Amino acid sequence: MTTATLGAGRPRSLGRVPGLRYAITPIALCGVLLALYAWLGAQNLDSIESRSLTREVLFAKAVEHIQMTLVATALVVVIAIPLGIVASRARNRLITPVILTVANLGQAIPCIGLLVLCTFLLGVGFQTALVGLVAYAVLPVLRNTMVGVQQVDPALIEAARGMGMTRGQILRRVELKLAVPAILAGLRTALVLTVGVATLGAFVAAGGFGELIINGLKLNRMPVTIAGAVLTASIAFFIDWLGGLAENLLKPRGI
Amino acid sequence: MFDRDTGGASIELRALTKHYPGQPAPAVDHVDLDIPAGELVVFVGPSGCGKTTTMKMINRLVEPTSGEIRIGGEDVLSLHPDELRRHIGYAIQQVGLFPHLTIGQNIGLVPNLLGWSAAKTADRVEELLSLVNLEASAFHDRYPRELSGGQQQRVGVARALAADPPVMLMDEPFGATDPITREHLQNEFVKLQKQLRKTIIFVTHDFEEAIKLGDRIAVLKERSHIAQYDTPANILANPADDYVAGFIGADATLKRLALLRVADVECGQQPGSANLPQIAADASLREALDVMLAHGTDRCGSPSGVLTYGALCEAVGTEPAPAPRLQSVGSGSTPVRTAPVPDAARGEAVGT
Repeated sequence: MTTATLGAGRPRSLGRVPGLRYAITPIALCGVLLALYAWLGAQNLDSIESRSLTREVLFAKAVEHIQMTLVATALVVVIAIPLGIVASRARNRLITPVILTVANLGQAIPCIGLLVLCTFLLGVGFQTALVGLVAYAVLPVLRNTMVGVQQVDPALIEAARGMGMTRGQILRRVELKLAVPAILAGLRTALVLTVGVATLGAFVAAGGFGELIINGLKLNRMPVTIAGAVLTASIAFFIDWLGGLAENLLKPRGI
Repeated sequence: MFDRDTGGASIELRALTKHYPGQPAPAVDHVDLDIPAGELVVFVGPSGCGKTTTMKMINRLVEPTSGEIRIGGEDVLSLHPDELRRHIGYAIQQVGLFPHLTIGQNIGLVPNLLGWSAAKTADRVEELLSLVNLEASAFHDRYPRELSGGQQQRVGVARALAADPPVMLMDEPFGATDPITREHLQNEFVKLQKQLRKTIIFVTHDFEEAIKLGDRIAVLKERSHIAQYDTPANILANPADDYVAGFIGADATLKRLALLRVADVECGQQPGSANLPQIAADASLREALDVMLAHGTDRCGSPSGVLTYGALCEAVGTEPAPAPRLQSVGSGSTPVRTAPVPDAARGEAVGT
């Protein structure tokens, strides 16, 4: 959550220099990672710590973490965007509150509790972690899709109908196109949330940087915990940065 | 889709009614109207009188509760609504250009829906842009937000004309523009319609606009009852009732003058016309009167001769008062309404 806010709060004045604005996040991230590397190198790591922080382990955890995030987000896209469209239609106004309540619950129920419950049903592993992540990240995308579609100027819809566009054409060619910025913003938030929540995947043996954090805490090895936390935060920042790029590239021209 | 010989198709409304559920009275109540092919008919009436609802029933954006609509003899209610709308031009006050599409794509949208080839659509877009006086090369690839309000309105009209529909519905299309742009757009639109002869239903609450644009005007009361349906000149000369008279306002005669051109009036040849204030042949008689008032004279020179105050009176069907009676105006024996005109004429008479 903090990463999203920080990412969004980039100084506006830098926007005048194209490119520079987009270079700041990667440069800062490189700096942070180098500092982490230097700091870990300066510590006297014992055998547990050095075994937890080898290149192979870190690479494997990064892959697991990103995999969890991306698969969960892909599922969120498939679930939340159609639901958001359904919720945005005036004639569905009876089910809209139901959809929103369920989506709100997904975020309101503590994710760790949901993961534990899912473990009873699905056992431990990747799929269980996905359920928790998807439940958590559906809301921002669903809500933004719904609002993005609803905020389209009614005059445009009337013009489109008056020109003889079918409902499907209006949805695909007008409403969804104009909702793209809102949907992408929701997706960016969802991605950043997912990176953070994916650390909980370690509790259900789904791997990821959460494992470093938890192991470090359990075994009282501070450097391991710090490495896991800093790497997780770095991924969140990086993904938020990618999301910002995507928003600018995919936003329809003219709006 | 519709039978058509010329530019437009006739429209017939029979007992057309819209009753919204839960409302005590119908919004539109048994409207009967015949609109001849190629004419521009203005629906004029106060806000909430049902004029827009009546118009929207014609392209079925509002489904009629009962009644009949025929375009070119064809029963509109038996057609598929989306298909029907592709053959009826539609322009609205908010313009409604799609912000994510270029001007070219906006105009080409209906041809695209109708499955025209890309080349045919491109030619048509170019033709339409020049028709509404926008340079195709400069505007084709721009986005709506880069255009001024007046330019957007022109694109809106071009878009409504895109598939060369026989019928156009226009809902206060110039309502949101400033007075100068509006007048400019109206003038261009009058010229355009002379050329195209579409059947157009034009909704407005501005009676001046109705007079200026309409071949006929339907003055509507609440529930879309037609108070009067006639040519602008006839409505101004003979308002059917107090409601219509109230809608026209107190300056009906001036409005009638505005409808007539200097070229329409017989101008006598008189010596010394070169010294008179001059007026163009395509100026309205109202403008001619303005020139006379401004110069304190009862005549002005036009390309075809001399236009007199008497000729203006004859044009609106009143007897010009003889000169001696003009002198008595100051004593208040003439109705106040006509006072300014004789005053000016008298000033001239006294001065020379």
